[in-house]
Amino acid sequence: MSLKDDFPILSREVNGHPLVYLDNAATTQKPQIVIDAMTQYYSNSNANVHRAVHTLAGEATEGYEDCRRWIKNWFNAQRAVLTSGTTEAINLVAHGWGRANLQSGDVIVLTEMEHHSDIVPWQILAEERGIEIRYVPVLDDFTLDMEAYSESLHKAKLVCVVHTSNVLGVRNSVDEMITLAHQAGAKILIDAAQAVPHERIDFEHLNADFMAFSAHKMCGPTGIGALLVKNDAFEQMQPFMGGGDMIETVSTSGSTYQTNEHKFEAGTPRIAEAIGWSAAFEWMSKIDLPAHHERLLEIAKWTAEQLREIGCTVYGRHQSGDAAVVSFLHPTIHSEDFARFLDAKGFAVRTGHHCAQPLLNRLGITGTIRASFYLYNSQQEAEDLIKAVRYIVERFA
Amino acid sequence: MSYPAALQELIDEFAEIDDKMEILEYVYDLADEVVDFPVENWNEKTRVLGCQSEAHLEVGVSDEIVELRSGADAKIVQGMMGIITIAINGRKAQDVLQLKPDFAQEMGILNSLSPSRSNGFRNIFDKVMAEIRMKQ
Repeated sequence: MSLKDDFPILSREVNGHPLVYLDNAATTQKPQIVIDAMTQYYSNSNANVHRAVHTLAGEATEGYEDCRRWIKNWFNAQRAVLTSGTTEAINLVAHGWGRANLQSGDVIVLTEMEHHSDIVPWQILAEERGIEIRYVPVLDDFTLDMEAYSESLHKAKLVCVVHTSNVLGVRNSVDEMITLAHQAGAKILIDAAQAVPHERIDFEHLNADFMAFSAHKMCGPTGIGALLVKNDAFEQMQPFMGGGDMIETVSTSGSTYQTNEHKFEAGTPRIAEAIGWSAAFEWMSKIDLPAHHERLLEIAKWTAEQLREIGCTVYGRHQSGDAAVVSFLHPTIHSEDFARFLDAKGFAVRTGHHCAQPLLNRLGITGTIRASFYLYNSQQEAEDLIKAVRYIVERFA
Repeated sequence: MSYPAALQELIDEFAEIDDKMEILEYVYDLADEVVDFPVENWNEKTRVLGCQSEAHLEVGVSDEIVELRSGADAKIVQGMMGIITIAINGRKAQDVLQLKPDFAQEMGILNSLSPSRSNGFRNIFDKVMAEIRMKQ
């Protein structure tokens, strides 16, 4: 039995062809164990968490909090706030920490490689507070300009950097960047949305102040993610959203808040999603992640070489540690046409700006075709992709 | 609903094709059906928002008769414009406004009818209709 058999969706056909799912950087597919866990919760234990004393509420609370335990163990973290995903996690830092700790004249350092979710929240805050934003340039070899990064840290209060690019697959030198940020007296947030599917990060060892990521990019459900926070940064945060579950007391003269992660989880949380994410962790705990990462990177490297031979431009370097993402363009066939033709042959790839317009502007393009590989993908699927690409090029170029 | 003869003919032709690749190849070829809208006339007002490709159009209504001029850098998107051109050009504005976008689904050229950033056809169709309403 292959690993692929755990994913029911992968046995379906698309447009009369077996589905080859290569849009994993957007979202990964879900193993049966995740689907079953969520169905089981709704069929058997559905209740609201944290308040009622009845049996179902207890089961739901345990299920929800079990996800937090999985996250803390998996990433070796002391504080894990459950959010709707990476975007909300970053917004939580912007509103919860940024508003309480940044003033006019302060500096935030971003990079040209960031996803929009790690740009727009800071632009909103910068406009509101009169904060300066500096962008670290991307070099021609698709890496960050580390010299410019060091210079940009002067008077910086916060650095926000993507661990692994969703467009290029490039893994940034985050260890060095964290050390330099701290030496400059800045806190640092790592957008790890594209990193956690491929690498089991030790948050304590990484030593970042914040780390944001989503469940759905690591075989879990959509609609849930987490923010890991170091204790000292956690103490500096103020609530982002007010409402039920995040308070200790409420009176007409004011409210007091919980002191743990619930302080940042106002309202009924994503209970079924948390239970599904726990199941995803359980499934992934049986996978040799480093071995698969190596295998997938080899597939990506091979695919990139083949695409170059066909005449495509490939954006990315596919070096050790990088994600198995292959972004490419053909010189005469538009990326959108290309993706539609591939879809007609059963391949799911992504096109467009991938929510990283500053990076694409830097590369002088408006979009790419992106094939992103994950645990259930095979070399054979990469070969089938290249065969389809050759057909499209021969027919339409 | 009943469609104008030229569009019905096109829908019937598409209905005979089962293979998605062949459908797309046909749409690709229909890119030649657009009334040319030169790139030098493209601007923010003519842009079809929400398309991944650069897609631009301009609608003229003269003596109640509609003329769509359009172009895109993605050939399939321009092919969709070609289909809309066949469906509406030379027809009365009030008749064109009765048209619903469902015919694209009947032709098998849409994954979804809901407006979204990846739904090029729907965004083109909605812009065309909005311009006709404005100029009627």
